[in-house]
Amino acid sequence: MNEERYILFDQYLQGELTIDAKNEFEKQLLEDPEFASEFETFKEVQFQLANKFGIEAEREAFKQNLTHISEHHFDKNTKVIGLKPWYLAVAASVAVLFGLFFFNYNQNPVFADYNNPEQASFTVRGTVNESLKQAEEMYNAKRYNKAIPLFETVLQKQKTAEIQFFYGVSLLEESHYLKAEAVFNELKNGVSVYKEKAVWYLALSKLKQKDYEACKQILESISEDYEGYDQVQELLHQLD
Amino acid sequence: MDKNKIHPDQKYIDGLAENNSVIIQSIYKKFVPKVVMFIMNNSGDRDQAQDIVQEILILLFNQAKANSLKLTCPFDAYFFLLCKRKWLNELKKSSNKEVTIIEDVLSINESAHELIGHTEEFDEKQQLFDTMFQKLGDKCKELLKLSFEIKSMEEVAEKLNVTYGYVRKKKSLCVGQLTQWIQEAKNFKSLKNN
Repeated sequence: MNEERYILFDQYLQGELTIDAKNEFEKQLLEDPEFASEFETFKEVQFQLANKFGIEAEREAFKQNLTHISEHHFDKNTKVIGLKPWYLAVAASVAVLFGLFFFNYNQNPVFADYNNPEQASFTVRGTVNESLKQAEEMYNAKRYNKAIPLFETVLQKQKTAEIQFFYGVSLLEESHYLKAEAVFNELKNGVSVYKEKAVWYLALSKLKQKDYEACKQILESISEDYEGYDQVQELLHQLD
Repeated sequence: MDKNKIHPDQKYIDGLAENNSVIIQSIYKKFVPKVVMFIMNNSGDRDQAQDIVQEILILLFNQAKANSLKLTCPFDAYFFLLCKRKWLNELKKSSNKEVTIIEDVLSINESAHELIGHTEEFDEKQQLFDTMFQKLGDKCKELLKLSFEIKSMEEVAEKLNVTYGYVRKKKSLCVGQLTQWIQEAKNFKSLKNN
């Protein structure tokens, strides 16, 4: 390997050569195609290295987000579903039947009708963190008041959109509206997959506080591309 | 139409570079089903289609980040052809037989062709670089990783507990080693093509 040549390349790029040496270098670039071609490759390697390591964190975040969206698109949910969908369907239809019999039609929709928080499963993505695991267990067991402080501990060390989202849902379940809405607003202004879901939960927060007008306004801002848009439409319809 | 004019679909490229979930989701919704259909009709399954799409989107992210991706044609045609060609190449590799890539010449315009050429060249260069990087010794790998993450060579020296002069020299030589290997691969390739 021509060691001196590579050291020279680096010194030239760093602007460390004397005027004479610099002129000599540039003269050689013009006259010696092999030298010039090797210098081009040297610069290209530097560029590749900068691209590989300079944005590694961003690339990892992109890959993680992409995998999340892709799994969702190809319908491979990693979610743990507690009840069989069949039971849920029966339970839901029974509830609807009772609803039809016993309630009058003009009643406003209530939070409970739309309150079906999804299960959390952080551990599948590899980060085995004791507090996060406990938070997940408490959350999935619907013991939100226990989950909240655990999420807070985790968020001090590791802040991801996913953890923030489930923290926000826990806060809402416990009716800490201000804190919950602050979390959802932050997600809404971000670019994570939870962006639109956070807006939906902002609407649910208003619904739970029986602020129907605000709820409606937020719902109307949700784009039709949102995965749960049928629920959005249903709630809008009920609010009218 | 001006060939060099940026197409409005550049928003998909920018969205990928920004890791914008709404844009990524809309790519999946609007453009991915066509790719899946093609791969499934050409001896592939859904899992393979999922992988191809992900690989291409990561490639586009990298190219967009390197600032060398300016879309001059609709995203649809560009993205579909990239996935299609990648899939056919995979088939070729695994079946060891000749698969001819028949292009629908009429349906693609010249600038799409040119862009695809650039992206594939970017991919090739990156792959060559990655292969060579893996060949380096652990010391070089670590030093280069730190140098390009931290940027200040003084800090790198401090972190590795060596002198500034040493890291500077070592860095030049590690980049030099990569340069030499890549240069050799290039010379070999042009020899083969001539």
